[in-house]
Amino acid sequence: MKIFNRTLLIAPILVLLLSGCTKDLTKLNNDPKNPTNISYNALFTRAQFRLSFLLNNADYDYNPQNFFEQYWQETTYLNESQYDILYRGIPDLDWNVLYLDVLANLVRSDSLAKLQITDAGTLASVHAQIDITEVQAFYYLVTTYGNVPYTDAFKIASTNFPRYDDAMTIYKDLLRRLTADIAALNGGGDGVGSADQVYGGDNTSWTKYANSMLLRMGILLADVDNATAQAAVEAAAPHVFTSNADNAYFSYTTSPPYVNPIYGFMTLGSRFEDFDACSTFITQLLSNSDPRLPLYFTTQSDTQTTYSGLPPGVGGGYFGNSNPNPTLIAADFRGDFLDYAEVEFYLAEAAARGYNVNGTADAFYKNGVEASILQWGGSQADADAYYAQVSVNYTSATGTWQQRIGTQAWIALYNRAWDAWTETRRLGYPVLPAPTHAVSTFPYRFTYPVTETNVNSVNVAAAATAIGGDLRTTKLFFVKQ
Amino acid sequence: MRKRLSLLAVLLLSMGWVFAQQKTVTGKVVDAQNQPVPFASVKIRSSKAGVSADADGKFIIKAKVGDFLVISSTGTSPAEVQVGSDNSIIVTLKGAKTSLDEVVVTALGVAKSRNRVAYAAQTISGADVSDNRTFDIAQSMSGKIAGAQISQSNTIGGSTNVILRGYKSITGDNQALFVIDGTPVNNNNTNTTTQMTGGGGYDYGSPISDLNPDDIASITVLKSAAATALYGSRASNGVILITTRKGSNGLNVVVNTAVKKGWYDKSTFPKYQYQYGAGYAAQYGVGTSDPFQPYFYSYTGKQGLGPLVPTTEDASYGAAFDPTLMVYQWDAIDPTSPYYQTERPWVAAKNGPATYLESPVSNSQSILITNSNANGSYKFGYTRDNENGILPNSNEQKSIFTFGATYNLLKNLQVGGEANYYDLPTIGRYGTGYSGQDQPNPMMEFREWWEMNVDMKELKDAYFRTANMPIEGNTTWNWGNPSQVSKPAYWDNPYFWRYQSYESDNRKRLIGNVNAKWDATSWLTFTGRVSLDQYHWLQEERTNTASVAVSKYTKFTDDFYERNVDLMANLHKNISNAFNLSALVGANLRRSEDATTSATTNGGLALPGVWSLANSAANPEAAIETDQIREINGLYASATLTYNDFLTLDGSLRRDVSSTLPKGNNVYYYPSIALGFVFSKLLPDLTWLSYGKLSANFAEVGADAPVYSVYDTYKILTPYTGNPVGSLQTTKNNALLKPERTKSPEADLELAFLNNRLGLTASYYSEKTIDEIIAVTISASTGYNYQYQNAGSMQNKGLELSLTGTPVKTRDIQWDIRVNWSRNRNTVLELYKDASGAEAKDLQIGAFPFGPSLNAPLHGAYGQIRGSDFIYTNGKPTVDATGAYKKTPDENEPIGSTQPDWIGGINNSLRVKDFTLSFLVDWRKGSSIFSLDQDFGQYDGLYPNTAGNNANGKPKRSALSDGGGVILPGVTADGKANTQYIDASYAGSAYGFGAAPDKNFVYDGSFVKLREVILSYSLPKKLLASTKSIKGVQLSLIGHNLWIIHKNLPMADPEAGTSFGNISGFQSGAYPSVREASVNLKVNF
Repeated sequence: MKIFNRTLLIAPILVLLLSGCTKDLTKLNNDPKNPTNISYNALFTRAQFRLSFLLNNADYDYNPQNFFEQYWQETTYLNESQYDILYRGIPDLDWNVLYLDVLANLVRSDSLAKLQITDAGTLASVHAQIDITEVQAFYYLVTTYGNVPYTDAFKIASTNFPRYDDAMTIYKDLLRRLTADIAALNGGGDGVGSADQVYGGDNTSWTKYANSMLLRMGILLADVDNATAQAAVEAAAPHVFTSNADNAYFSYTTSPPYVNPIYGFMTLGSRFEDFDACSTFITQLLSNSDPRLPLYFTTQSDTQTTYSGLPPGVGGGYFGNSNPNPTLIAADFRGDFLDYAEVEFYLAEAAARGYNVNGTADAFYKNGVEASILQWGGSQADADAYYAQVSVNYTSATGTWQQRIGTQAWIALYNRAWDAWTETRRLGYPVLPAPTHAVSTFPYRFTYPVTETNVNSVNVAAAATAIGGDLRTTKLFFVKQ
Repeated sequence: MRKRLSLLAVLLLSMGWVFAQQKTVTGKVVDAQNQPVPFASVKIRSSKAGVSADADGKFIIKAKVGDFLVISSTGTSPAEVQVGSDNSIIVTLKGAKTSLDEVVVTALGVAKSRNRVAYAAQTISGADVSDNRTFDIAQSMSGKIAGAQISQSNTIGGSTNVILRGYKSITGDNQALFVIDGTPVNNNNTNTTTQMTGGGGYDYGSPISDLNPDDIASITVLKSAAATALYGSRASNGVILITTRKGSNGLNVVVNTAVKKGWYDKSTFPKYQYQYGAGYAAQYGVGTSDPFQPYFYSYTGKQGLGPLVPTTEDASYGAAFDPTLMVYQWDAIDPTSPYYQTERPWVAAKNGPATYLESPVSNSQSILITNSNANGSYKFGYTRDNENGILPNSNEQKSIFTFGATYNLLKNLQVGGEANYYDLPTIGRYGTGYSGQDQPNPMMEFREWWEMNVDMKELKDAYFRTANMPIEGNTTWNWGNPSQVSKPAYWDNPYFWRYQSYESDNRKRLIGNVNAKWDATSWLTFTGRVSLDQYHWLQEERTNTASVAVSKYTKFTDDFYERNVDLMANLHKNISNAFNLSALVGANLRRSEDATTSATTNGGLALPGVWSLANSAANPEAAIETDQIREINGLYASATLTYNDFLTLDGSLRRDVSSTLPKGNNVYYYPSIALGFVFSKLLPDLTWLSYGKLSANFAEVGADAPVYSVYDTYKILTPYTGNPVGSLQTTKNNALLKPERTKSPEADLELAFLNNRLGLTASYYSEKTIDEIIAVTISASTGYNYQYQNAGSMQNKGLELSLTGTPVKTRDIQWDIRVNWSRNRNTVLELYKDASGAEAKDLQIGAFPFGPSLNAPLHGAYGQIRGSDFIYTNGKPTVDATGAYKKTPDENEPIGSTQPDWIGGINNSLRVKDFTLSFLVDWRKGSSIFSLDQDFGQYDGLYPNTAGNNANGKPKRSALSDGGGVILPGVTADGKANTQYIDASYAGSAYGFGAAPDKNFVYDGSFVKLREVILSYSLPKKLLASTKSIKGVQLSLIGHNLWIIHKNLPMADPEAGTSFGNISGFQSGAYPSVREASVNLKVNF
């Protein structure tokens, strides 16, 4: 019996201790559901999708510019219509999309490409396409916040407290990178290929696209650094978009998750009732019998043929006012990064400023107006009739070239509120009325994220001082003070 | 020397022992009622050699025939027995006390006498958690344990948070560990982060609520690290040790049957204004030729052209009610309504939202059969609890099957096993927080977005009238187009939610173990146990096709498995007359696996009401899977040396190897040391002092990391038309993690006076966690939102008092009082710093919807609520020239703290002959709550303060030019009282968000609640004497949550809105508290 007892006791202890000592438990740290390696193009697609999500959104959590620009107004929750961007923490949300979803994935995609691609020519064009997208994301960061982390960004191995760089310095480096990328796109091949939901990686298309970006980025500096602006614009102008066929559209699918974010928010999230057209924009469109009015908006109701919008900052019923046209709420409605109409307006401005862009302001302006109408489904006849009006025609419309181009660019940049906001801040036109109960004057930037003030407080405080205060009314580097 | 050698031999697991010439006598010490007397001293009179009985009163001693055994226990006169030819004896100690106080179950189930425990351990009885018939052990402990902050939601089957001695971990869940008969019970929660932070979602509850209260003999709460160190890291938030009922002498059958009625507490439900109806402002039809603008649209029905209510809206800032005004309501649009195209008077609804709430009847039954004899013991049990909620179509059922047995295989070898099977189907959990239409929370509608002209009974009729039509009953007050049957603007019919867009879930669980206990010698016992906790949890969420939300079916499964292998050697020996040593060495192997899969339809359902993934309109996205495995191997040893039963030195050491830490850093130790001094033993002359013990202890506890926080991975996302899509994770992992540490000194004082009629226990502790493993928030410009770091340090200092008293004690009357009180002070000492000294100043624990957040601020207390605040002048809110409040420009100002000042409970029990009345008052002082309900409800004009007349006797909502408006309480910038009227004529003009900062909606969460009242009557024994079969009959009337005696939060229960984990202090769509009264009949055969 004692033998039985001893065996009973000793055997399990030995088994227990031996099994406990020999097994390497740390192997269990490998997550079976999430890989430790990935292909570079998987990250590129994600980044491009999220960039399009941010720029083509209607959600008041991300895109208050739609209300700043008085395209739309909120029917019930008026914070953003009244310039309050803090209530929903918009600066944090947008910052996170740009840094985390877009840039972090692009930076990693770029470093993985170097490991995964052996052909030097392919790698050159892949790197260029990734880098152009990075430049695009940083363009929105500096034009939205001002000074932001750049040199220290994405260097988690060395610092978790990135310093902020001067916005103009960043901007010039972006111009340098973009120029280098354009040169690198000559390598041929299809770059990131089908991972690119805009051009399928086609280098020729990317070259036009990158030059159009260079044009946009160059003209932005015209008021503050004319020499740099002119050099960039004149280098880019011969290679930019020449028709709506060149437009940079992110293509969406008809079922989630790769659907247009407007559909995602308004249809899937059932938030139709939160938005009406804004009366400022409706009045503008009505004043010139704009053919885009029925393309942009619905009539007041199914039984009425008239259009109306909410005055800025004032709530009202969804029912009984014009609403966004169902076309732009379709699941697969395009995500517009940059289009031909916009390019023509930049060229018009360049010509008006006396840059050598091989054309007149008048002609570029007319092309821009026409391209916009056609882009939205209007006919050439619509465009001709519209342009024939004294109030539209470049030579007869009222105001400075800034006012004329600014007004038409504003109309054309409907549903592109991020870019429209930049044009308004830069050109000073259109002059938009202050919303009722506005919490400030017109916003010129987003304030820094609350998270930054909590966790990167010293650096964000230095940046705030450097730009002239962390206020939504501080004018950024590209705005003539 | 020989004894020392043998001790050494034991520790080396040697099997050699001596005393071969003597015979082995086994025995048991019992009291007059035949109940075991634990820890009696058993000595041989002639040699003074002796042993101690164990917790079950059993002892084994080597003695010669003819020896006299002297058996003694605290407070009794010794008994003597002579050893005869029998090898087993039973000794009865008359007058022995078997009260719970004398035995304390400590870590790993080791029972020790009170004198030998040198740390805080509070014990309550099984009756404390079962007599109230709530079937939730954790909830039932509320107010009964000092230092336990137990908060419960008011939803059916909702979570119960059990926090002992404050939040120790910044990002961990801080929940106490429950251990049932040595088997740790999983309490993982599946609530989403969105749900926990007050966004939408269902509260799927705490799996700990599975346990069967009727099967519990006692609960011991071990709060200090010194007491729990032997359990390793999982016990870092304290341990709640549950001992289940065991078969004792003879057959015993207990049957319970109860019926319960519930109804909502009106003080926790909104009070409304009844003067104004649908709308946000005078803004409808403005700019058109509509004749009924600005409060109505127009419609032509049976009575011709008339005003049409703006059903597209969800506020009550519209037209003033006027019974002479005839209007077309939402039901005028419904072709099935008796009021189709019919005008009705413009008045407040007769049946408001409260009509929606039901007064459910629930019932429960349980039977537990126990038996034991010389060969072993067994128990059988079955419990069924059938709970109905206050919302329509809500029901939770628990069926618990219990089986346990022990068998004496050999004289000194006992084997046993236990298996509990749980089947817990639930239907219709309540949507919580600021929810969407797909996880709907009707209270959010009733508290935040409602029209006072909407009649709930008519909505109910409309639902049932149209439930079988293509719209599936979604005939709603909130038509998107007010003049025709159309998709709702925002809100489905609230009955549609409950019957067409409901959740259901079912947890099937097995908890059990097999064990063996071998009394190798009189002083050495070996125990081995393999235990298992396993469940499959299916959760299904539905949204039917007529909803304003995209229809959806979501299926979530959670498969959990945990296995523990334990082997332990216990030594228990009197080394000399003065010294007693008890020691143990052991090993624990733990493996847990948790795999979840979540799949959902895409782009809506193809067919209404078919709850299948195959019914997805578009191809469903890939299911989301997680698969987490953790293993920890532990070795431990502890020793308790007692001198003359009054001085105890206790030390323990555990070594863990964890799978979740990187190689080289994955071994860690937990030392503990404790000293106890029963000074009353030295003061026998102080007759008024029945007991006095002073103890002090210190422990350092380690903890491992969350699973998969070492190596970086990528997240795989749905492919984009065949192209792979992936992303960096938002959290950067850390291959250099090391274990976190908690240092916990504690001092305890235990006193009893006047023959134990009065008792006091006090504990002071100061716990400090360092190198805490947290995912610190970092600048997103690093490429990550969070990074796992050994960062952070938090301190909890606190005092716990518990007082017991028996003011009256006669044969017929006895009055017992128990008071528990505790306070905890938390400080965040350190968050995250880099080598250059750059430091994070705050860590956000959670972001609530619409502005406020919960934070861990550096140098402040954990759980700080931040949001926008007033600008103060002389401490008073400042208004601007227009009379409106000035607000801070940011939303990051401290506006409240969720840390209570103190918590307490008072339990009274009064027995008069066969009647017993007991009642529990539960008390919380302090802690803030931000009420989104008040913020939005006032904005919307739902509450009485937004209507009525102003100081001038004019309606507040009239235009300023008509004498309307209000003066907000506050001062102007120069400190003078505000005298400026502001417009109050539209939503948000003077009340609610927009008009006031977040701070305005922060309330004090203090409460005093009459938690439990139990009146029971036991049939006199004499009466039962005639029936041989019935041993006892008890009839009880039970009240639960009957009365909130005091609170400062208007229209809501300060406890509502709590989910699992660290997030509290936020209410959106808070459920009212439910008063419950039940009748229970308990028969003991």
